[in-house]
Amino acid sequence: MPPEQTNAEAALTKLGQRVRAGWAKQHPISERSLETVRSTVRQVWEQEQKVKHTRTPAPKPPSKGKGKGQGFEPEV
Amino acid sequence: MDELVKLVRSYRLTNGLTDRAQFAEAIFRVIEPELTLFVFKAVRPPFADDVVQEVLKAIVTSLGSFSGATGKELWAWCYRIARNKINDQYRAQANDRLQPMAPEDLWGLVDSSAETAPLATGERLDLEYAMKLLADSKPECGEYLWKHYVLGLDYGEVAEEQNVNYDAARMKIGRCLEEVRKLIA
Repeated sequence: MPPEQTNAEAALTKLGQRVRAGWAKQHPISERSLETVRSTVRQVWEQEQKVKHTRTPAPKPPSKGKGKGQGFEPEV
Repeated sequence: MDELVKLVRSYRLTNGLTDRAQFAEAIFRVIEPELTLFVFKAVRPPFADDVVQEVLKAIVTSLGSFSGATGKELWAWCYRIARNKINDQYRAQANDRLQPMAPEDLWGLVDSSAETAPLATGERLDLEYAMKLLADSKPECGEYLWKHYVLGLDYGEVAEEQNVNYDAARMKIGRCLEEVRKLIA
């Protein structure tokens, strides 16, 4: 690649870094975006908790009059 | 390891809602501004902010399954999600062609960046040259150069954006740069 091409690339790359940094400075994350992130995190988390809950087998209720006094069915 | 990827990993490994929300906030304080720049250049202003919200929801929803190990992979993944959202849901509102940013707006951004990192000697001349390269490019070329150099998308991402293959994107960017460089020499 000729050196002029490299200079042009370097100049554009530098401009890109400046533009992105300047944009981030002028446009920090908005309150609306933060709220979107928080509420979506909460929704994802609640969904995970539901899945966990359905996967964890609930302890079986004590059986009456069966077994030898432990009150629980043996795990199969 | 990249700080951003560390945060994503911590987010994925955290079970508590409060901690997870804090990690998410730290992650999005970094990535949201660049995603916003990307979306605002692709979608007309009245719709752009809604698109950004949809992009953020999609990223948060999938963040737990992100398996990359580098910041570059993370950015590529985020841009892919943003691109898909723009294409799937907002095609009607998307600009046919990216509108170039006016030089005074570009200088405004450069000056804002200089508040944190002052311009080095001679840098202003380089930036003027870069702006002239963009301004004097043909519209299609200007779009390729903007995406690759200003937004910082790599050849693969530009290829996805433009619906061409990797080599075609790489060669197009090289040709566009060569053409405009000769034009203003």
